[in-house]
Amino acid sequence: MADIDAVMLEIIANHAVGLAGTPSRDTPVADLGIDSFAIVEIIYDVEEKLSIEIPFNANENPLGDMKTVGDLIDAVKELAGQGGG
Amino acid sequence: MSRRVVVTGLGAVCGAGENVDEFWANVSNGNCAIRDGTRTCAGTDLSVTLPIAEIENADALVSSLGRSLSRADLYTQYAALAGDEAIKDAGLDPQSEAFDPTRTAAIIGTGIGGQLALEQAYTGMLRKGRRPHPLTILKTIPNAAASQLSIRFGFRGPAFAISSACASAAHAIGVAGDIIRSGGADIAIAGASEAVLTYGSLEAWKAMHILSDEKCRPFSKNRRGLVIGEGAGLLILEAHDHASKRGAKIYGELLGFGMNADGVDMINPAVEGASGAMEQALSALTVSDWGRVYVNAHGTGTLMNDPTETKAIRIAVGQDADALCVSSTKSVHGHLLGAAGGVEAIASLKALNTGTIPPTVNYDEPDPECDLDITPNEARERTLDYVVSNSFAFGGLNAVLAFGRV
Repeated sequence: MADIDAVMLEIIANHAVGLAGTPSRDTPVADLGIDSFAIVEIIYDVEEKLSIEIPFNANENPLGDMKTVGDLIDAVKELAGQGGG
Repeated sequence: MSRRVVVTGLGAVCGAGENVDEFWANVSNGNCAIRDGTRTCAGTDLSVTLPIAEIENADALVSSLGRSLSRADLYTQYAALAGDEAIKDAGLDPQSEAFDPTRTAAIIGTGIGGQLALEQAYTGMLRKGRRPHPLTILKTIPNAAASQLSIRFGFRGPAFAISSACASAAHAIGVAGDIIRSGGADIAIAGASEAVLTYGSLEAWKAMHILSDEKCRPFSKNRRGLVIGEGAGLLILEAHDHASKRGAKIYGELLGFGMNADGVDMINPAVEGASGAMEQALSALTVSDWGRVYVNAHGTGTLMNDPTETKAIRIAVGQDADALCVSSTKSVHGHLLGAAGGVEAIASLKALNTGTIPPTVNYDEPDPECDLDITPNEARERTLDYVVSNSFAFGGLNAVLAFGRV
């Protein structure tokens, strides 16, 4: 299994249109400047690179109550079976 | 409510030029943009080489659009390049307080839509078992350009795509004019965009046996078919009162718009349809001297179109048809398919404003069935009162625009 933290940070950096600088686990999701297109592209990249399936319905807010990039990474780890909880 | 509609901005990108100035310099000087081009099918040894009129600097132009448009198909990116130029040329600032986005329309046609995105998705899926990119649908849909331009500029008036093959741009411009005329908007960005120079598309066109294997030679007896180009041509149309109030530069007035269907055949054009659409457009003009009228012909360079169009022009204009200046600028910029009527309307308006009739180049053998004065090979100076742009599409759909001075 790839280093999920590194893969996720790279994917997010590629699609965070509004972000100045490099994202870290502490970066607020609100600062990423991602739009509906970017969310769909991030999910696709995550699925491709980590070989997982993200249960996502485009009619719902895929970010839920996730506040930081770290929350996003942990949610993906959960799906990849590497969650801490 | 019936308002006069004028043209206040122009934007073009195609094989003959990256902007309107470059386009017009090449079209009026007859610098043919047709070259052999090769397209391959990714991951295979399949390829096709044909004469095409491609935008050589496309990658650099597209990357200049910025990140938001990097996720659009090439046809939408071409529309954005032409759109940026047209908005700037019209002196419009969509961010200013004086600008009313709810009264601004975006009517952007295309013959096909996102051919490249669709082809990439299918190639990846069938050759490599790769899932299609999740934005494939949003890149492909024929309204992507209309939607992306409305988002880019914040326009919130009427917005939609028109698709009528090679008449898409002329239909879009005519319908946008009607929307302004009837009070549905004050300003519209209108025209069309096309980007189908892909392996799959070129093979499909080749299968129709309608493509030239060398230059495009409209009205010349040795013509061998059409040559496909790519790009976008967009106009800013504006209510005359609105344009006057803000002191806008005016290229001309959209006076006549004729449209109809042959109702006969998918491939072969019918004289009656073409002449009927021309008659509708010409009925809005008060012509005192047909020698001061220029017709930018559909002039595809196919065996069927050119004599049919010649007959149609003769019927629509009557005994004065020999006084007309006619030319096909497709001989320079190729056939932009859906976008053809956009760049050709621009060529027509530039002719009206400069008094230069752009030539039909690559002409070297008279055809008795194409016996109008088609301005062979050399541009001509002529004071013009009116210009007419013909678009006659596969499927027998006709649209004709007529512009005059304000």
